[in-house]
Amino acid sequence: MADLASRITKPDEAPAAAPEAAPVSAPASEEPKAPENETSIEESQSNLVKNEYEVEIKLSDLQNDTESPLYSVSSFDELGLPEAVNRGLLAINFKKPSKVQEKCLPLMLSDPPRNMIAQSQSGTGKTAAFVLTVLSRIDLSKPHQPQALLLAPSRELARQIQTVVQTIGQFCENLIVEAAIPGAISRETGVRGSVVVGTPGTVMDLVKRRQFDISQLKVLVIDEADNMLDQQGLGDQCVRVKNMLPKTIQILLFSATFPDKVLRFAERFAPNANQMKLKHKELTVKGISQMFMDCPTEKDKYDILCKLYGLMTIGSSVIFVRTRETANEIQKRMEADGHKVSALHGAYEGQSRDVLLDEFRSGRSKVLITTNVLARGIDVSSVSMVINYDIPMKGPGEREPDAETYLHRIGRTGRFGRVGVSISFVHDRRSFEALSQIAQFYGIDLIQLNPNDLDDTERKVQEVIKSSRAQAEYVPSATDSAV
Amino acid sequence: MAGSSPARPNGNQWASPSSRSVISDILAGDRNSEARHRLLIEAARREHERVREEAERVYQEHLLRQEQERLVEERKKEEERIRAEEQLAAERRKLNALKAKKIEIPPVLPDFEPAKAPSPAPKPASTASPSQPPATQVNGKTLFEKQPELQPASAPAAAKPFGGFGQTLTSAQPATAALKQSTPASAASSQLATSNLLGNNIQVNGTATATTIAKSPTPAPVQQGPDRLAVIHKNLKELRKSMLDQAKANQALKARMGDMRREIRKCVGQLTGGGAGVNRQQNNTIAALLREALENRVQSQLVDPNTFLVESRAPVQGPTNNDPQVPSLFIYLLNVFAKATISQFINEGGPRPETADPVGVCIAAVFSDPAFAWRGASMIDILLAKFRIVCPVLWGYRGSEKTEQGRARIGWWKDNGRWVTEQVHFDRMTGLGAGFAAISLRNFASSKKQNPYPPRHYWAAMAKIVNTPSGEISNTQCVVLKAMIQNYEEKFIHAYGTAALAALRTALVEFPARAPVKSSAVNSLQVVHDLLRKSTGAALG
Repeated sequence: MADLASRITKPDEAPAAAPEAAPVSAPASEEPKAPENETSIEESQSNLVKNEYEVEIKLSDLQNDTESPLYSVSSFDELGLPEAVNRGLLAINFKKPSKVQEKCLPLMLSDPPRNMIAQSQSGTGKTAAFVLTVLSRIDLSKPHQPQALLLAPSRELARQIQTVVQTIGQFCENLIVEAAIPGAISRETGVRGSVVVGTPGTVMDLVKRRQFDISQLKVLVIDEADNMLDQQGLGDQCVRVKNMLPKTIQILLFSATFPDKVLRFAERFAPNANQMKLKHKELTVKGISQMFMDCPTEKDKYDILCKLYGLMTIGSSVIFVRTRETANEIQKRMEADGHKVSALHGAYEGQSRDVLLDEFRSGRSKVLITTNVLARGIDVSSVSMVINYDIPMKGPGEREPDAETYLHRIGRTGRFGRVGVSISFVHDRRSFEALSQIAQFYGIDLIQLNPNDLDDTERKVQEVIKSSRAQAEYVPSATDSAV
Repeated sequence: MAGSSPARPNGNQWASPSSRSVISDILAGDRNSEARHRLLIEAARREHERVREEAERVYQEHLLRQEQERLVEERKKEEERIRAEEQLAAERRKLNALKAKKIEIPPVLPDFEPAKAPSPAPKPASTASPSQPPATQVNGKTLFEKQPELQPASAPAAAKPFGGFGQTLTSAQPATAALKQSTPASAASSQLATSNLLGNNIQVNGTATATTIAKSPTPAPVQQGPDRLAVIHKNLKELRKSMLDQAKANQALKARMGDMRREIRKCVGQLTGGGAGVNRQQNNTIAALLREALENRVQSQLVDPNTFLVESRAPVQGPTNNDPQVPSLFIYLLNVFAKATISQFINEGGPRPETADPVGVCIAAVFSDPAFAWRGASMIDILLAKFRIVCPVLWGYRGSEKTEQGRARIGWWKDNGRWVTEQVHFDRMTGLGAGFAAISLRNFASSKKQNPYPPRHYWAAMAKIVNTPSGEISNTQCVVLKAMIQNYEEKFIHAYGTAALAALRTALVEFPARAPVKSSAVNSLQVVHDLLRKSTGAALG
């Protein structure tokens, strides 16, 4: 028997415990001679050794699209963010601010604080923009004093924003971020974080129960603001929450869509706000290839759906359907075909929804089938395909095509300048017309796919993806050496 | 003391405060009273605490000793490194001097006899010299054989047997064995491996040189440039074209080929992390399709697999596939599989590097399967050929991101004649870096199969990046380096032990420190170190 000391389990085994094959010290060695020394095609003629003749990339090639929503020239360093926040950004591979960040951050960070209404396409960094503002505004020496409140329309989105604050703030000491969603705040202690992310209803309950000290809140952020201020229930709640808060609070409203009538209301909600707006033809993200599949009948949709997955390289995908029954049926079929699927819809409540979505976020399942509950905001960067299994409709009797929802749905892919594919299924005159109206509203050309000749469809899809990638959404700057 | 609790300072085991004898204790009338019982419990508790304290003290001592040992070892390693660097510096100075001289040497046909040259050093310089068209006539193989000669003698004797190791693509058995032998990370063995790496790098030189020459429009067309992987890549393109032609004439093939391709792509896309066995269905499907292709019921033409391998293979005893030719459909499907995995790395691993790992596992499974090997070794060169094209920095290629040629060399992609955006490029590199680690850091210790791409390739790739001269460090390299390290620290350390820690220090501390421009790509390497320190407490210095 070993002596006692060795029987104590050590909390952490030294990571280098077992040098199994350990040949080398630091791999200092002869430099691999740079291919720089070789002549490149043009130079070989003249026998030049060095690369003076390498052609510098022309500025005009790189900066020709200042209208791109991701185009920007400045760096995060120039924004004067706290050092710990900068490191957090690097840790998640944020190297340069996007346009909405670059334009809005100086305005939002200036003193005295002013309100802001910002509109920017899906996946262009709105969340990071307001999270950075929040992290710059709060005083970390008072970790238990609520100082920033962020409101979102769903518990999923609130949790997601909470995670973003925590990730970007991972190097900020004493940062406590709490989610004010049903079942997350202890009834005994109340809210004890400096940043609170929540849904309006729960926030109001907490304030009423005096479990949430709002006296020192400095920033109020409302994400998906058009949705939050428009919907009867949430709109009222938001106004009521706002009326309880200190009058000096800085209000930031963000969304990808701001229908006119909501915008007028938003201007009253956040008076004297700086504004950043888009025309609706500018709303679609160029990196998303938008196609539609002409299905012979409603029934054929299942089989065609499964075949889509061989046509292109797909990371994760989201399938939007109208009813739970369809969701369950598709789930069954796709699982039989080897896919790992999460189906998330109104039949699930609270924490079981969290579990399902976490499975999808973590990549344990790669297909998410959902109804409209998740159309907005959810950011899973590896989603490369969105399917509108049913065309989104709104209004009484669902007679009107829902252009906003369409945009938010396809915005689940093509995040931050990446390419994505959206495929909408039409199977009859009604669905075809609804989709045409949406396409017309945004001024997009939808490309038709044919389910019968897969070889041909495959070729077409590849071409479409290639050309949308070539639209150079994210334009780097050659002048900026500090990439 | 072994095997027992540490001795108490004095007294017997169950002594009550009054320290009566045990027997009288037992016989005492109050032996069952509650007070007595409490007393005993209290005594036991104290005893327990004492033992625990003692244990903790011993453990703390142990920790201290360990820490001390670690420091000593680290100091030794540090000294070793400085020695190596000094040696290297001297070596490099010599080489530079020789390079400067080289221009005067008139171009000659390279000598095929290695050892003859009186001074070995000028030779590599001239061989590697781009201004020497005759080098084109040397086929890849001969160049490789010349490797030992190219070693600029930092440890010539030791280096010699490893000449082939640098050839990252051959299954150079002796090198593997040697690497395994050098298990103890002693000073001697580290020297040895350093010279190993030397071999590598020089090797890269040769390769790199030849690439451009192959590309150059000089009259003599090169059929087999030393950058064999690029040639294989081209051959695979030819194969794809030939398959399409075959399909026009062969209905059975046409009917099956597209479905097989899509099925493989779908399966690769379905791979997920999360425990053993979750991807069994996908692995089985892919294997079944490859087996079907080998059976060749659709009668695709036969091809010589050597066309798609870095080194030609002669028939060997015993393996499943030994014929001089295999169905082209089989090679085609391996190519489809390789393409699908790399595409998955780029598209999915870019935004989320952790998704690369299950794909790496699947690659390892397919290419280690003896049923899909040929003449006793894996066909992984097909995958590597593709990989080498999309992520050349892993093979030691370097270039400036601000020049056309530089971008072409480091694998900056073009779409429709335009460079893809910076964001897209770095995304690609992130996915590919993670993918490379996912392929090359697989642990085959408990497997009966042979690892088709063992960790030494990971080491070599990392060495090629971190040994870049300061002035030539590019953001692309930093991004790839970060991606191949993050999430793979543990596997790397598992494969190389303390040597891995030293390598990580070089990559995460020294390499970014000497980068001339502190771009965010460079800084993000330091952040990997921060994260490592935060999550494991391992400070690399």
